[in-house]
Amino acid sequence: MPSTPLDTRYQIETPEGIDLPLRPAGLVPRVLAFAFDLLARGVIMGVLMVPLALLGNVGLGLGALLLFLVSWWYMVLFEVLNQGCSPGKQVMGLRVVQDDGTPVGWSASLIRNLLRFVDMLPFGYFLGAISCLQHPHFKRLGDLAAGTLVVYRERPLPRPQIPQAAALRLPFALDLNEQRAILGFAERQGELSAERVHELAAILAPSLQVSPARAAQQLNGVARGLLGPT
Amino acid sequence: MRLSDASVAIRPRTAWEAMDLGVLMAREHRLLLTASWALVTLPVFILLSAALWKYPSTAIFLFWWFKPAFDRLPLYILSKALFGDTPSLNQAVRQWPRLLKGQLLASLTWRRLSLSRSFVMPVSQLEGLDGQARQKRLGVLQQRDAGAARWLTTVGVHLEIGLWFGCMALFYLFIPQNVEQNWDWQRLILATSSEGLWLEHLSNAFYALILVFWEPIYVACGFSLYLNRRTVLEAWDLELVFRRLRQRLSTAAPLLLLVIGLTFLPVNPPAMADESKPLSTQSASQSVKALLDKPPFKNPETVTRYRFGDDKPTVKNKDRGDSKLPAWLQALLDNLNSDTFKHFAQALEVLLWSLLIGGLALVAWRYRDWLRTFVSRRAPASPKVVKPAPTQLFGLALGAETLPTDIASTAEQLWATQPREALGLLYRGLLSRLLHDFNLPLKSADTEGQVLERVHQLEQPQLLAFSDELTRHWQNLAYGHRLPPTTIQQKLCSDWRALFSSGGPQ
Repeated sequence: MPSTPLDTRYQIETPEGIDLPLRPAGLVPRVLAFAFDLLARGVIMGVLMVPLALLGNVGLGLGALLLFLVSWWYMVLFEVLNQGCSPGKQVMGLRVVQDDGTPVGWSASLIRNLLRFVDMLPFGYFLGAISCLQHPHFKRLGDLAAGTLVVYRERPLPRPQIPQAAALRLPFALDLNEQRAILGFAERQGELSAERVHELAAILAPSLQVSPARAAQQLNGVARGLLGPT
Repeated sequence: MRLSDASVAIRPRTAWEAMDLGVLMAREHRLLLTASWALVTLPVFILLSAALWKYPSTAIFLFWWFKPAFDRLPLYILSKALFGDTPSLNQAVRQWPRLLKGQLLASLTWRRLSLSRSFVMPVSQLEGLDGQARQKRLGVLQQRDAGAARWLTTVGVHLEIGLWFGCMALFYLFIPQNVEQNWDWQRLILATSSEGLWLEHLSNAFYALILVFWEPIYVACGFSLYLNRRTVLEAWDLELVFRRLRQRLSTAAPLLLLVIGLTFLPVNPPAMADESKPLSTQSASQSVKALLDKPPFKNPETVTRYRFGDDKPTVKNKDRGDSKLPAWLQALLDNLNSDTFKHFAQALEVLLWSLLIGGLALVAWRYRDWLRTFVSRRAPASPKVVKPAPTQLFGLALGAETLPTDIASTAEQLWATQPREALGLLYRGLLSRLLHDFNLPLKSADTEGQVLERVHQLEQPQLLAFSDELTRHWQNLAYGHRLPPTTIQQKLCSDWRALFSSGGPQ
């Protein structure tokens, strides 16, 4: 058993001493994002190629230029100008950041997208997929070279509902994790079965000095107390 | 199952993150997973290939179809490893025949093509549920994350194909050039005879190798999806923290807890602020300031480095009012500020300014040529370069001293014996006159035609006519070896006399 449990989080400490947990994204959502982008590019090319095809040789030349722009600059432009999200990443809730969590810049984005062609060797992202499955932070070769990371975007959370109860204060101190767990217990009661809620609360019944039957209500009160007046 | 022994961080995740955790779990036990998978599947693959040597497609299809049977082994290893009880390779492989019991038929027939195969596999294998109970369980589990499980299988299929083709492309790239040239690819691929069979079996072997790498990851992703679903459904993370909290409280201070616990329930102070000492704005802002001056907010550090000291005197002057200077310096500074040295200072100023101006003037004089060349806006007067007149043209000497004084009569004398010399003499004479008397700027590179053009510019029709005729005859003689008739000889001599003996400077 490893000393620290396996986790998908990637911790960064900022110069101000703040821990930023990033959540690197693995192969499956990235493949889906790429597939979406590929489709989007195909549609763009298809739509623009039809009028260009009517222009004869000039259209052919313009089409070649367009192909170059779309295949080489689509990702770079979106990543740099749209906060690290190409449309596919936007759909899958991903974004590209630097290793230190700062927004991705021109050079990093160019490097990671130019090296796509190394990841594609020898066929269909062979090297990229293997690298992505083997790296602890799911980086493909382009990410390794550019020092970038594909992470899940933080999504705004809906305000959780806490059951009504009279606010209580515990006589012993709780650390941050324990406070979060008690709040989480109150917030997630809707998803849990009644038996399970009872079972969980019964674990803490002896510590709370109440009967197991009343423990859930007691914990909800503590959660109210932790939350403060709202 | 003890959650506190879990080797992964248990918390509710999104479905995608749960899969990522599966990738990490597979990575953690990669050696064990791939080795056990290879030990179990590769012999089966070899047996299938040997038995169905004539039908490679059937062999790989059967191998692919039996995947759920093989998948049970990585799932067993992962479920054991999750709670720290990682089996050895030997133990794991020995377990495999036992794992095959139970719902093997179902998993190999109507459940084989299920897209959420890896997600629901733990229900039958680890929980041992079957029939109605299993259906109910799946109904609860698949309320969420089932879509992600289907995407996992879809992506997995494409990844297998991509990696398979990648392996074949890699193989092709590593074939030496001279071997490759001897192969007739079309014949090999299209051949139904036994020659092409080994190639198909080779590509089958690549697929089996791909599965050694990918299939344990696929199983691990499905397993971690299942774990995550149960973590959400049963709040495993909360249970974990609650158990730790109870342990901490029960071991640390049971007595204290009892004492305080007795007092805590009846009367609960409703407010949470500390009432012991009233806060005033001043003390609060002071303590805030004191906090802000401490390390996490302010990190004072001493830096020692060299820099220019030009700031110092001004600082001293500014500080004068604070009487930090010694008295003598103060007096001196005051003296300097008074009018005592005013005239001296003015004289010094004049001197310095005149030194500066004088220096500039000196420099300008010193570099006057340079300035005139590069700074002056007028183009420099170019000195008249007198080009020396060429001493010969087309190999004919033109110096006045090389010619006889009376050219015409000398030419008349020479006509009879040496006509070429005679005509040459006339032409030389003409050129010499043009050069010296008419100051035509002839160059040694000029041709006869160019000489004529210059004569044209002189606008003397007589001279031009003569020159034209003479040049023509001279060219005929010199290059064409054609002698001018006698009348022309006479005419040329008389014309020469008419032109140069009468009006000429001679």
